[in-house]
Order: sequence, then C-alpha cells, then structure tokens
Amino acid sequence: MKNFNQEKTQSSFSRYSKWHYLIVIISLTFFIIHALPNFYQSKDVLVMTPSNTMASTIDIKSLQRDLSQKGFNLESIHQSDQVYTITHDSSRKSTELNQLLVKKYGSNYHIKIETQDQRPQWMKSLDLSPIKLGLDLNGGVLFILNVDLDKAFEERIKHIKLMIDSVARNNQLYGIQFVHQKSDEIVIKYQKTKDFKIIQEKITSSFPGVTFQFANKNQVVLSYTAKEKSKFVKEVMQQTLTTLRGRIEELGITEAVTQRQGDHRIRIELPGVKDPSEARRIIGATASLEFYQPQVNSNKTFNTDNGEPVRVDPIPIFTGENIKNAHAGRDEFGIPLVNLTLDNVGGDKMLKFSSQNIGRPIITVYSEYYQNSNGDVNKKSRIINIATIQQELGSRFSITNMSSTQKAHDLALILRAGSLSAPITIDKEQTTSATLGEENIINGLSALLLGFGITFAFMALWYRRLGLIANCSLIFNLLCLVGLMSMLPGAVLTLPGIAGLVLTVGIAVDMNVLIFERIKDERRKSLSWPLAIEQGYKNAFVAILDANITTLIAAFILFTIGYGPIKGFAVTLGLGVLTSLFTGLFIAKMLTHLIFGFARRHHFTSGVKL
Amino acid sequence: MNLLLDKYSFIRYFSFGLAIIMMVTSIIGLSTKGLNYGIDFTGGFLTEFSTSLPVERTRMQQELESILPNDFILTTSNDSTHWTLREPPVTEDHNHTEQTESHIWLEKIQEMPYFKQSNINIEWLDSDFMGSQIGQELKEQGGLALLTTMLLILLYLAFRFEWRFSVSSIFALFHDVTIVLGVFAWTQVEFNLTVLASLLAIIGYSLNDSIIIADRIRELMMQNSHHSLSKIINLAIQSTITRTLITSGTTLATIASIGWLAGESMHGFSLALFVGILVGTLSSICISATLPEFLGLSVDYYKKRREEAEAFSTSP
Repeated sequence: MKNFNQEKTQSSFSRYSKWHYLIVIISLTFFIIHALPNFYQSKDVLVMTPSNTMASTIDIKSLQRDLSQKGFNLESIHQSDQVYTITHDSSRKSTELNQLLVKKYGSNYHIKIETQDQRPQWMKSLDLSPIKLGLDLNGGVLFILNVDLDKAFEERIKHIKLMIDSVARNNQLYGIQFVHQKSDEIVIKYQKTKDFKIIQEKITSSFPGVTFQFANKNQVVLSYTAKEKSKFVKEVMQQTLTTLRGRIEELGITEAVTQRQGDHRIRIELPGVKDPSEARRIIGATASLEFYQPQVNSNKTFNTDNGEPVRVDPIPIFTGENIKNAHAGRDEFGIPLVNLTLDNVGGDKMLKFSSQNIGRPIITVYSEYYQNSNGDVNKKSRIINIATIQQELGSRFSITNMSSTQKAHDLALILRAGSLSAPITIDKEQTTSATLGEENIINGLSALLLGFGITFAFMALWYRRLGLIANCSLIFNLLCLVGLMSMLPGAVLTLPGIAGLVLTVGIAVDMNVLIFERIKDERRKSLSWPLAIEQGYKNAFVAILDANITTLIAAFILFTIGYGPIKGFAVTLGLGVLTSLFTGLFIAKMLTHLIFGFARRHHFTSGVKL
Repeated sequence: MNLLLDKYSFIRYFSFGLAIIMMVTSIIGLSTKGLNYGIDFTGGFLTEFSTSLPVERTRMQQELESILPNDFILTTSNDSTHWTLREPPVTEDHNHTEQTESHIWLEKIQEMPYFKQSNINIEWLDSDFMGSQIGQELKEQGGLALLTTMLLILLYLAFRFEWRFSVSSIFALFHDVTIVLGVFAWTQVEFNLTVLASLLAIIGYSLNDSIIIADRIRELMMQNSHHSLSKIINLAIQSTITRTLITSGTTLATIASIGWLAGESMHGFSLALFVGILVGTLSSICISATLPEFLGLSVDYYKKRREEAEAFSTSP
C-alpha cells in the first residue's frame, strides 16, 4: 500500500508487473482445468449382446424411429458385429428403456445398463474428476446409525463378571464374592489375598484396561478409568466402522461413504442404491455366534428353541471372531446350512477342544440385539445347535438346520464381515430416487441460471463497461469455485450447496458494486481514471474484508457443527467467499486496468459513461 | 440536500420503531403458534411421490386412509401432482420396516381402482425416516451453531470496530432471525434443516450490510468534525444506499428464482432467505446504523483514537 502511494502520480498500470499477471493467469488456468471434467458427465448406455445364435440383426433405423416415437431422446446407436450400444440423453429413463428393450429383444439378446465415462483420455490420466454429488442430487440411501456405547460397555462388564466366576470355579477358589452394584464397576470380596492375585492376573491379561482399587479389607473395586473408558469407546467405534465397511463391501456397493458423525453416530451414504431394505437388514444386523461347552454347575444358561435352559461354561470355546470364512449352502436333505472355516487360532482351539471331548456336546449360541417398546436395546441369545462331537474337528465345520436360505445367507455374510460388539439402531434413513435427484439437479441449475441471467443483465445495463468486468469476473468466479470443489476430496455438491452457489453470486456482485460505487465517488472528485480505479479498490478493501471474514466465520461454524446438507451448504459458501475474494480483488482489478488502460491509450475514456 | 438527510433521520427512527413492533409480533407468533418443525427435528416418516395427473387432495387422502393404518399428514404442491406424506414416529415395537417400505404401499395404491381407471401413474420419489432422539440433538446443535456464530462475530466486530457498532449489529441480527422465525411461526411453513442453514446464511449476509454502513460511518467520523453524529450516519447511509439496493435487489431476484424453480424442497429455504435478506437490509439501516447513536457513541471517537495511533490511519 505504501509503495503505491508514492507511485500515485505516475501511471498505475506500471505497477502491474508481468509476474503479477502470470500468477493470476496460472492460478486461473489451474482452476479452470479442474473445472473441465464437469462438462463431461458420464452417461448411461445400454448394451445389447446376442445371448444365443437365434439373434437376428436389428434394423437400426427402425429401432431409432420406434424409440423416438416412444419419447426417448436417442443420441446414437452404435453397432459392431451384433453388439448394439445405445446412448440416450437422460439417465433417469435408462431403466424404462431397458425394460422396453428386454420386452422386445430379451429372448435373443442380453441387455444391460452401463455407465460410460465421457472424459477424454488426458483427463483420466491426470485423474481429474467432476464434483461429487450428494445423495439428494444423485439418488441413493442415507443411514445414520446410533451406536449404543453404554450397552457395549455394560456387556464388557458382564463379560468380566463371568470371567471372574469361571476363574473362581476352575481354580476352586472359595469365599470369592462379587457384586455388580453400579453399571460400570464390580466389587470383589475375598478371603485370601492369594486367591485374589489369581483372579487379578487372569483378568488383567484378558482385559488390560481394568484397574483394581482396594476399598476395604479384602475388598477390591474393579472399574475402568475415564481414560481407559474413552479408549474402549474409540475401539468400539473403530471396530464398528470396520465391520460396517466390510458388510457394505460384501453387499457389492463400491462408492459408499462410511464415516463417524459425532461421538456415537455413524453416517453411511450409499449412492445409487434404490431399495434400502437389504442394506438395512445387513447393516443393522447384530448377529454373533459363540460356541460353548456344557457345564453342570454353571450360572450361565441359554435357552433352546423349546425354551429349555442349558447350563454352559461362561467362557466360550471360541467366538465368531475366529471365523475366517463362511458360506451358505444346503445339506443332503436340502436344509440350509452355513459352512465355516476357522482361522489358525480358532482351528487350534477347536482341535484341542474336540480331541479332548469326543462324545460330548458342543453348543452353538446365536445372539442378536433387539429394541423393545421403550427403545431400550437388549441382547437376545438362543441355542441354535447342540451337536455331539463325533471326531476331532479341524478348522472346517458347518452349522446345520438354519431356518431359511435367507437366514443362512445373512449369517454367512455377517460372519465374513465380522460382528458388531455394540448394538446399533437406525436414527435416520433417507432414500432419494434417481429421478428426484436428476430433477433436483435440473431445477437447481435452472434456478441458478435464471438468477444469473437477471444479475448479468442488470450489471451490464447499470454499469456498462464496468458491468462487463463484473460479469466476466463472475464467470471466472464460478469456474474457480467449480474447479476448487472438484479438486477437494471432501467437497460434495448438494441442493442447499447449489443455493450456496447463488449466495456466492450475491457476495461477488456485492464486492464489485462496492468497488464501482467507490470508483464513481472518486470520479466525482474529478480524479483521473487510473487513480479513481486505484482509490476505489483501496477504499472498498477494508469493508470487503470485514464483510467477508464475518461470512467466513458463519460458514466455518456451519461446517464444523453441521452434517450432510448443511455441511454441503457451508462448503460452497466458504469456498465461494474465497473465490469471490480472488476474482473480485485480483482478476476484476486486472481486467479494469486492462480495459481502461486500453481505452486511455486510445483516448476513449472521456466518453465512457459509468 | 439537507432536507433529504433529515428525511433519512425520520425514516431511521420510524423504521426502528417498526422493527421493534415486528419483533414483538414475531415473538408473539413464536410463543403462541410455535414452529412447525419438519421431521428433521420431530422424527417420523416422510414420503414424497408424484402422480402423472393432478389428483384432488381429499380424494388422495381417502385412498391413502384405506391403506395406511396410522395417522398421516398429506400435503401437495400447487398443481396437485407432487405429494408429501408425513407420519409420526411409531411408538410400538421396532418395526419401522413395514412403514418405511413406501414402495409397498405405493404399489398397493397404484392398484386401487380409482387410479387404474383414470390411468394415473404414481412414482415414488423420496422416503425419509428420522429417529426422534436425533431430532432433539439437531435442535440443540442448531441453536448452538446460531449462538456460537453470533458470539464469534460479536467478538470480531468488537475487535475491528467500536463495541457499540458490534452490539448494534448483533441486535440487528437478532432482529432478522426473530422475524424470519416469526414468519415461519405465523405461516406454519415447515421448519427443517435447510431452513436452519439459511438462518445461518442470513447472519452472514445481513452483517455485510451492517458492516459496510458501519465502515462508512467510521470513515466519515475520521474525516469530519463539524457534523453531528446523526448527520454522519445519514451521510453514510446516503452514500451506500445505491450499493445496498443493487446488492439486495440482485440477490433477492436470484432467491426468488430459486423459490420459483428449484422445486418443493427448497421452498422453505428460499422463503427464509428472502425474508431474511429483506429485513436484513432494513435492519442494517434502521438498527445497526441507528442504535450506536442511542447507545451514546461520541462523534469524535475515531478522531481521538486516530490521534492516539496516527500511524494506523486508513484515511487517504
């Protein structure tokens, strides 16, 4: 600023050195290149391949006529050998077109919808991609899941209690009493310190986070410190995320977004999924398997399907975690079953156990969480199988007598992807059809274009030549914003995001108007053009900065606190402020100097009306 | 010229009173009618579908009542082809499965004689389930976001300007938000997550106006000594009025086109923004520029500051 004050009397244009222009041009090109892939949206094409030798050649012309009569806007039909590729303009009509073609040619042709990337080769090799669209624009399913961490912690404490019980029995320790007073601690009373030491050793080796606090004589409180508890929560959330990602992968959904939202929620976005019921069943499933041996004097019981209680050893032989692979199948009577393959640890345990227990039963327990009418989550376990061990079992065996093929498939899938250690419930489920998504895009964009048109026309009429500059910088602004959003991996365009774009236009126009009004003021003080431009930009700068920083504060808070659509809005608003500052302060200024500099050199300026 | 400036004073004081009356009216609306919260906040089920031909609302209501076991609220667009159905959250067992399966009941209704005979196709568009607990959290989160934004902006402005400007701008913001909420209470238009987002956008936007006028006032205060504060404020408003009108005008035009074209789901959003920017523009003149005068800002405040820190002067 100081520099410029000294040069004020000279021509201000000299201040814009070549490198100044160069930097602006390079960054502009950079953004525009990133914005380009948006003009090459991928298209749905229908591919027809002959499924048998009976397939006769199709007359392309008549097919074309036929389809356009039915209201399809075809772009091309391409034929090579007997493979036909049909490109049309609206992906929402793809299914409809597919159905029509199947009806007509389905007997001899195999017809499928493929998504064709329209980007030129150089874009693909540079890995330039268009803006990612939110579910409201793309269609798909959104789940927000609540992870019941309290329940998971309660289960952990229960587990420890059972472990103490089991250790006491197996080592024949007498006089051990334990009370589960509060949900997050166990009070252990003992008679001999030696006995307690045994228990402590076992528990610490299995659950390293546990702390023991001596309360009274021969009395210890077992609990988790706040730090250990938060570590436990972190582990549970991480494990839940991993499991859910595994399950979604198993479902064959590739572009899913699974992320943590807040402390105990998980957000899953499944673009392109039309029917949420399968995803809901698999994602929300909390099924797990445990294998037990019976023990007569145990406190732990499970019920069989007939409601008969069976006493088992509280510590399972192994759990579903040791299952490496699972597949659904049928036995020789056609009854569904699940074939299991154990990992090394599980295989060893099974081998050791089965060789020592030939002729004795092994009990398979299936557990699931369910929600009751009060919204409380409870664990329901039942015995699905009691088998007698006939021989040494290795790492492969099966669970027979599944009630349905569907159940067998689901169980196999869940066992493959891992079970959840905390129950989850669905807090939000939103399904948007691709039709609505496409409608939203069209509506949003036409609204944007109309708003733009009005703004453009007004600026051009009101400010004439300066209006031209404003409009140019507005176009550059949008290109930069689109480029920036395509570039950043976290930026997603949603319908409120499009509204954010509109506000950006408002902000950008405001910036130009502020500057132009200042320039007019300076002209009224009969300053020369270049000086008026410089002064105008300089005087408006402080107000522009203050106004935009406050908008940035609002956008930043929206971004940190909000989720989903609100975040989408915040991203466009925030990035829009940044690109507006760039285009309004640098590009527009450059353009002003260029145009008025040119005019001045050719003695036009005196006649220019502002 | 002087006459015009005096007129500005009159307009300012008059509209300040008006602003207070509008705020009171809004608060009455909020406390008596309350907001019509969308399912984002209340929890429940929402299904959107479209019909290929217009159907009378009462007719559709009848047809749906014969299929759906629970209470529902049915609303439709002006041309009676776009439908929104809201159901409250079920309190019984965890079987939202059947209810959210809007495909199923939509298929059923497609088979109803009325629709078959008149050849009306029903297309499912969108379904939404929201647990009631998350809604409460969202409300709290939204309120927190609003308050945090206001607080941070208050701090920023107090740092950049004088505290009286900062308090006035925040009061203007409070006025804008209250009136928008009041409009939503009186009209009972659904208040959902996108409307909340637009409230935050309004905060950012209407501050623009306040800041730009405050910036002018500050500038004029630094330059002049012989004018009264009231006159300086009027001068500042007069020199920014073109900008204010152009910016608000073009933005309002764009928002109106969103409301008109961007579809059902953006109606609440555009209504909120439209009202917000309208009252935001007014409040920047009648509140943020007027209130510092009432709060006792002295006309030579910046001159004194300037003398103290000559080096930081931004005056040309």
